[in-house]
Amino acid sequence: MATTKPFIQIDDLVREMTTEEHTAYKAQQASNAAAQAEADAKATARISALAKLADLGLTAEEIAAL
Amino acid sequence: MATTTPNYGWPVPTSTDYVKDGATAIEALGDAIDATVFGLPSAGLTLVKTQTIGSAVSSVTVTGAFSATYDNYLVTISGGVASTTTGLNLTLGSTATGYYRGGNFTSYTGTTVSGINSSNASSWLSASLGTTTSIDGRFELYDPFLTKNTKIRATYVSTVTNGESYVFGGFLNDSTSYTAFTLTTTSGTLTGGTIRVYGYRNS
Repeated sequence: MATTKPFIQIDDLVREMTTEEHTAYKAQQASNAAAQAEADAKATARISALAKLADLGLTAEEIAAL
Repeated sequence: MATTTPNYGWPVPTSTDYVKDGATAIEALGDAIDATVFGLPSAGLTLVKTQTIGSAVSSVTVTGAFSATYDNYLVTISGGVASTTTGLNLTLGSTATGYYRGGNFTSYTGTTVSGINSSNASSWLSASLGTTTSIDGRFELYDPFLTKNTKIRATYVSTVTNGESYVFGGFLNDSTSYTAFTLTTTSGTLTGGTIRVYGYRNS
C-alpha cells in the first residue's frame, strides 16, 4: 500500500505521520501559509509604495526620512 | 631520570628509573594533573545535543534539548538539503499558538529592506531555511525551560542566487517550560544535515 502521509522525525526515529498528526500538520501548514502570504503582501506593498515615492521625485534620503 | 610531558610539563618517570620510585612518581604526576585541571576555565558554550536529520522528513523534533542547567541556548542547523526551497518553521513542545516575530530581509538582487512580522502565529515562521543545496539556520532561545516567555533571535542565509538574508526577533506568549523543539518544512522535505544545541553557561 502506497504511503500517503509525510514522514516525521523525533530524535533518531523516522516514521510516517499518524492520521491525527497529519490533520494537525495540514492545519498548521494552512495557518503558516496564510501568515506568510500576509507578510509577503506587506513586503510587496512596501516595495510598490517606495517605487511610487521615487517616481514622484523623492530621493532615497527623503524616502528614508519618512 | 624523570622527564616531563610535552604539553603541560607534567613529571613522568623514564624507563631507566627505579621501580621502587614508582609510587612517588605517580603521586607527582597526579598532583601535577590535579593542579592543571583545577585551574582550567569552564567553557562558556557547551554542546548539549547533536541531532542528525534523517531522509525525506517533513519535520524534525529534538527532545531533551533544554533543561535547568542552562537558561539560554544557541541552535545551529547546517549541512543537508531540502527537496525544494522551504522555510523551516519552529515550534516549542506541542504549542501551536502565540508566536510573535518582527524582522526584515534583503534580497541578494536588490537593496530594499523588507519588513516581516507575524502576530499570534502557529509557529515562528522561517526560523531557518532549506534549499536544494543546503539547510541553514542559527537561532538563540532565551529561557525556554523557565516558566516565563521564551524569546528568540533568529537568522538564516539562502544559497539560492536570487535568495535573501533574513533576521528576526520575537517571543512566545506563554510561560510554559519546554524541553523540546520542532522544525517543520513549509513544503517539501529535508534530508541530512545536523542540528546542534549549545547551552550558554549561566555563571
